[in-house]
This record gives sequence, structure tokens and C-alpha cells, in this order.
Amino acid sequence: MAALQTPAPEAAQASERPRIDRRRTLAQRLRHDWPLLLLTLPAMVQLAVFFYWPSAWNIIAFMDYSPHRAFWENPIVGFAWFERLFANPYFLPALGNTLKFSLAQLAFVFPLSIILALVMHSVVSTKIRSVFQSVVYLPYFFSWVLVVTVFVQMLGSDGLVSNLMLQSGGERLTFMTDSGSFVFLAWMQWVWKDAGWGMIIFLAALASINPSLYEAAAVDGANRWKRMWHITLPGIRPVIVLLLILQLGGILTVGFEQYQLQRQSVGFQTTEVLDTFVYYRSIIGPESESFGTAAGLFKGVIGLFLILVANSVAHRLGEQGIYQKS
Amino acid sequence: MATPSDRSPLRRRSLFKVAGLGAAGAAGLPIVAACGDIESGSGSSQVQTGFDFLPEYKEWPLPFEPDLVGEPPNHPSAFTSFPEPVQAIADVPSGTGTYEVTIPMWGEAPSKDDDYYKAVQEAWGGTVVNIRHADGNTYAETSQQWLQANEFGDGIQLFSWMLYAHPDFRETVVNSFYDLTDLLKGDISERWPLLAGLGDTVWGKAVWSTDPDDPESARIFGIPGSMMGGVQNAMFYRTDLLDDLGMGVPTTVEELLEVARAFSDDAAGQWAFLGTDWLTPAWFGLASGDGWAYIDGKLVHNSERPEYTEWLEFRRTLHDEKLQHPDIASGTLDTKQLFKAGTSLFQQDGITFWSEYTDWVNSGEAPGGIGALGALSANGRTPLVHSKPDVEGWVFLNKDLSQEQVEELLDVANWCSSPYGTKEWELLEYGVEGTHFDYGDDGIPVFTDLGVSVVQAPVNYKTFSGEVQTFLTGPVDMVQARFEYNAAIKDLIEVDIFDGVRIEAPSAFVSAAEALKDQEDDVAFGRAEVADIPSIVETFLSNGGEAGREHFTAVYEQLHGE
Repeated sequence: MAALQTPAPEAAQASERPRIDRRRTLAQRLRHDWPLLLLTLPAMVQLAVFFYWPSAWNIIAFMDYSPHRAFWENPIVGFAWFERLFANPYFLPALGNTLKFSLAQLAFVFPLSIILALVMHSVVSTKIRSVFQSVVYLPYFFSWVLVVTVFVQMLGSDGLVSNLMLQSGGERLTFMTDSGSFVFLAWMQWVWKDAGWGMIIFLAALASINPSLYEAAAVDGANRWKRMWHITLPGIRPVIVLLLILQLGGILTVGFEQYQLQRQSVGFQTTEVLDTFVYYRSIIGPESESFGTAAGLFKGVIGLFLILVANSVAHRLGEQGIYQKS
Repeated sequence: MATPSDRSPLRRRSLFKVAGLGAAGAAGLPIVAACGDIESGSGSSQVQTGFDFLPEYKEWPLPFEPDLVGEPPNHPSAFTSFPEPVQAIADVPSGTGTYEVTIPMWGEAPSKDDDYYKAVQEAWGGTVVNIRHADGNTYAETSQQWLQANEFGDGIQLFSWMLYAHPDFRETVVNSFYDLTDLLKGDISERWPLLAGLGDTVWGKAVWSTDPDDPESARIFGIPGSMMGGVQNAMFYRTDLLDDLGMGVPTTVEELLEVARAFSDDAAGQWAFLGTDWLTPAWFGLASGDGWAYIDGKLVHNSERPEYTEWLEFRRTLHDEKLQHPDIASGTLDTKQLFKAGTSLFQQDGITFWSEYTDWVNSGEAPGGIGALGALSANGRTPLVHSKPDVEGWVFLNKDLSQEQVEELLDVANWCSSPYGTKEWELLEYGVEGTHFDYGDDGIPVFTDLGVSVVQAPVNYKTFSGEVQTFLTGPVDMVQARFEYNAAIKDLIEVDIFDGVRIEAPSAFVSAAEALKDQEDDVAFGRAEVADIPSIVETFLSNGGEAGREHFTAVYEQLHGE
């Protein structure tokens, strides 16, 4: 142990050398890195204009804000808007619905994207892959208006399936207006619209796995399931963890249009999520901008907290998380 | 992945520390500062009568007397003929300014280069008013953002029904729009004789107070639109389909249900009703507007009355017995097309649908005919009709305009207030003869296809300012029918207990009322039971209903001197 504590001769010599301060001035660094900085400029401007500047306006959550007053004339009200938000009788149900839909997405859509990617990855025929990819991926580009309209046309009470059932002596479907089964309906819509998008990201991760690993495993006698379990899934695990953490961060943001468009059909009590709550209570509702901002800030704080916790857990489990642990 | 430089001023952990400090600072700042109470959202009221600063009323003599003389406002007079129009304004002031006004638009916006605009602008003296058409379907909501950002051009038109999407509209009005009071008070009949002829009732509806607590701070902020008399909404029926059933026009809710049962055939895709939510409460004697009635010495909300349960039971019956289109709850149906196609027998709509459908029939676009159900009674009660004479909206001018610019736009408004029987009205309503309309054999203008798309369909200069007097006009048969319809129900029109006051309810009440409406749909469409109504009402009252009662009671007592 003593030997280990003795500095190596080279190290000792190095410590005796005069220190050269290689620190560069800001001007030197700018001169050296300006092409890189120039490349990042559009993204920085975009972030500044659309993210940081609006974020600074979160301060109005602590004011009795009116757009008709000079900013500094708005009275500070502390946490009064948060008190009003938490006391609002429609807030907790909206929060509950948001969590319900978010967890359902996490549990039943997220894994489906992985499964779809694995299935896709296993298809050898390029033609079939191309068709399959188009069919699964295309709905992502449809607007929610179109998605809901297609569902109404197909599964509505006066839709295609209902009319076919009527012709064969059955009853009309009430699926699109049944508040009890709305989570299932929403799940069908998520799967149709979004699962393909998630699949593409996992496919990209799958493409980065070295094919020689599969060949070596096959030579060693590993069957298809073992190759998937021991090579494929570990290969895409960092991406799964990364997306999972990001999804946790957005747990209070489940979308807006899907719920707003079906609000009338199944009732507000079933479809009210935090984003529709803000829209109906603040943007077109009777509460001020400060109320809506308080709700948004609440969402942001919870999201940040969840990301940090999930990232910390990921690091503890040896994963990379959303950034490299230094 | 690039490794962060050792010299980097922020590392991962320090970055979070800085972010945390920033967040804590941002959050802590308001705490350190003195905290106040929230003032917004507590509701307000605005008296609309008794002002001494309105334009002095000078009657503008009509060029022609109406053919059918009613009892305005609930029973407006009507024209069944189209007299040779006369010039309303002999000497129009010449205008040189160019302005842009935001106006809602439903459907396809017409070309801005059409001769209609040039002809009208030339006729009113040369002032160029460019219309910025915006989607009417989202106009109410999005206009709120334009107003707050002062991005609505030199003026904006808002229909009065759009104010639901404008919380604390008073504050928007007094901060965004030009105060017209100094220009309009007193005798304005020399320069703007038609505006002077609008009358105190109409101008009083264009008044807002700069200080909500000080009635003396009231000012004129808008150019009021036409004040249409008579009933403004109705439950229409297809006369031909009712004849096919061999049944008479129902006069009670019970008879109505019999007709609906006879017509509806779920398997064949035929249902008597489409929407029934906002028109049918009147049949059960429920109050209009915010739903308050003065009963036994206090304000009682609709939801607290037994008639409310009867009304929801009626709506639930339509659902349970499949008398209503099964997808009506989705809110995605094109109800006018379904009514036209005969899929439904009834259609709740604004009163203008009467002339719209009549025009379709006359042009061969729609079959049969249309009529409006009268005042229906339920369970033997005296029927009630909801109707509140009001201006259809306002044009507000931007506060940044100069006095000369505002005066020029008031010249335009004065021209646009010309009534039926004037050349100005004909040009506004029908466009240029030979291009947008031709005279029919009976002497009444008939739109060309271009006229329909450019002049008739869109909202445009027609609503820039209210007509000095309004009448029922249009196809003769329809006018006659509407005149008789108004005559039959005028005595059943609900007495408005808040007449003369514009009320903005407290935010808690508005939220609770919105939730109540959604829960009414829950009961009506089978998502909740009739037995749930008491708990729904209890929730409504505790979540904002009682706050609303307090506010409305204070206004009522102030208004009635109690």
C-alpha cells in the first residue's frame, strides 16, 4: 500500500515543472469557436424567443396581471393564484384525469412502440417492411381532428360499424359517447396515431446494434428469443430509459385536442385534463391569465421534479439517463 | 459525446444549483414583496340607461311606411313590397383615409377585389375600409388575443353573443377602444343624422364605465349594430314532412313528443330532433340568460326549480326513445344539411335560418318548406318565450386613431345606418344591379351567384353600423309568416328582470354554470341519471351558484330599488 502512495517519478517531475496557464480569454475562445457558435445560433434564438422569454413571464402567476396595465403596475399577490387554483373544485378532477391518461399512455402505448419496433426489425422483406412502416407511421401526421372524425365515422352511433350491425339485426354502438370506456377509446386513438412514431425512434436505436453480435450469438446456439433478450433489448435500453424519463417529465401534459374534441361526446368530467382545464377556465373562461399561468407553472415544476428524480434513479441503476453522469 | 471543458464556468451540478437559485429567486421575490388580494373575476354590472352624454335623438324620417305595422320591438313591422329606393344622404362627405377592420367570416371569404367593395366605398365618399375577414368559428376566442395585443387593425366587429369568450370585457373595452363620447354627445344630427336617429336605447348599449365602481365614468365606446326586434331563435320544422305524417303543428310538449315518435325511425336513420339544449328550457318556463328568476321574494336559479328536472327528463326521453340523432352529442354534425336532407324534422336555430331555408327552397337547393314552432307549453303551464331585444353587436375603433380618422369612420357608419327603402341600403344589402342582383318580376332583387358569395353570405359592411330602424324583409311569404309568428307570441315573451343592465357574473359562477351545462348534457345523453340532478345542483350551488346569487341579487336590488 505504501508503494502505491509514493508518487511515480514522472508524476513527481511533472509537479515540479512550472505551470503554464493555458486558460484562454473569452475573446480567444470566441475567435476559436465562432463557426460552432454560429451553427448553434438559430437554435439559441429559437430557444430564447419561444422558451426562455415566455418562461420569464411565469412571473405573472404571482401577480394580479392585466394586459392593459404597464407590467410594473400589476400588483403582486404572492401565491394567491395557486391558492385559488388548488381550491378550484374542477382542478383536482382534472389533475386526476391527467394522471390517469398519462399513466395509461405510459403503460399501454410506450411498450407497444417497442414491440412494434421489434416486430418491424424482425421482418426481413424490405417490401413488407416498407408497407408496414407506412401503415403504422402515417397516422402520426394526421391531426387530432381527422383522427376523431375517422373514429366517429367508423365507430360512431351513426357510423359504418353501427349501420352494419343494424343491418344484421344488432344495436347501434354507443362506444364514442360512453364515458365509462373512454380510456379504452383514447388508447385506441393513441395507438393508431402515435405508436408508429415511437416505433421509429426505437428502430433507429436497433439499427445501431452491431449485427456481428447476432451472428456470434447464433453461432453459439442462441435462438431468436435469446438473441432478443440478451442483445436487442440491452442494446436499446439507454434509449428506452431516456424516453421513459422524458415521458415522466411530461406526465402532466397529455395533449389538448384529443380531449377537447371529444368533450361534448363523453362529458367534461371524463375528458377534463389540465390543458383543457386551463383553456376553459382561463383562456376562454372567467379566470385571468395569471390563473392559467399558475396552472402551467405547477405543471412545469412537477415535470422538472419528476425528470430529476427519474434521472437520478436511472443513474443509480447504472443507466446514462438524459445526460452523461460526470 | 463531447466532454464538458474543465474550464467551463458551469458544470452539471452547478448548472442545477444556478437554475435552482434562479427558480427560488423568482418564486421568492413575490413572497418578499407585499402581497395583495386578487381583484379580477369578482363580476361587475353596467347600467345602460339614463345617460346625459348620448347623441341627442332626432327621428330620421323613413322614406316609406312599412306594409305590415307591428308593435316594436317584440313585434316588428314588415315590408312585403320593395319600393323604388330613394337616396338617404344627399351630400356624402368625401373621405381619403384607408382603414382596416377585422370582421368574422363563416365559409369561404370572397375576393377583396370585387366591385361590391369599390361601389360601396365610392358611394359613401371614398373612404377605403379594407375588411380583414377572420374565421367566425374561432373568432370569439381568438379575438380576445388580438385585442390584448392591439392587433385588430383600425377597428373590430364583435357580435354581442361573442362576449362569452371575453372575461372582464369592460377592461378590454376601456383600454383598447376609442372613446367616442366627446364626438357623439349632444346634437349630431347635422353631420350624422342617421346615427342620431338610432335612439337612446341603442346607444345606451354601447356604453361601458372606465371605473367599474363609478357610474359617472360611463362613456360610449362602440358603434352599435342593428337592434333587431321579435324573437331571435326558434325551433323550425319541415312543413312538408309534417304534412306527410298527417299531423298538425304541435302546441304542447306532449303533442310534440307524439309527432317525434311518429317521425323517428332509428333503423332507417331518421330522427325528429337534432340539438335541443338551448331553446327548449323556455317550453318549461325556465329563465333565459344566466338562469335567474325572481320567485317568492328572492332570486332562484333554474336548476333549483322543479321545471328544471322536467326539462331534463324531456331531453332524456328524446335520447332514450331514439327521437334524437344518436351522434348529436359529438357536436360534429352539420345539422342544417341533415335538416335539409330530411334526416330530421326539427332544427333549433337563429331566426335568420327561416329566410336562409326559404332562399334554398326558392333556388331549388332544398325541398319542402319551413315553419317555426310557436310557444309550447308543458304540463298545462302558460308557455314562455325567450327574447331579449338587443343590438346584434358593435364595431369598436382602435384607441390609437386620431379624432379626424374617427370622424371619417363615423361618416361611414352614418351611411351604413341607412334603412330599408334607400339606395344606400340596397347597395349594401344587394350590391350592384346586374352584377350582384337583378330585379325579379315582382320588383324584388334576386341575387346572382356572385351576389350570393360576395354580398349575401359574408359578414361585411352590412353590419358596420345599425340600421336606423329595422323591419322584417325578404321573401314575401316568409315575411308574412314571421310577422304573424311574432304577433302570436309577443305577449308570451319573458319579462327581463335585469332589463337595462349588462351583467358580468363572478368567475366562480361562470365556471360553475359552465360545468352545470355539461352535466345537463350528461343527464340528457344518458351519461348520468335523472336521480343525480339534486347532487349536481348542490355541487353547482356550492361551487359558484351561491356566489352568483349574491352578485345578481345585489344588481336586482339596485335596479328595482329594494
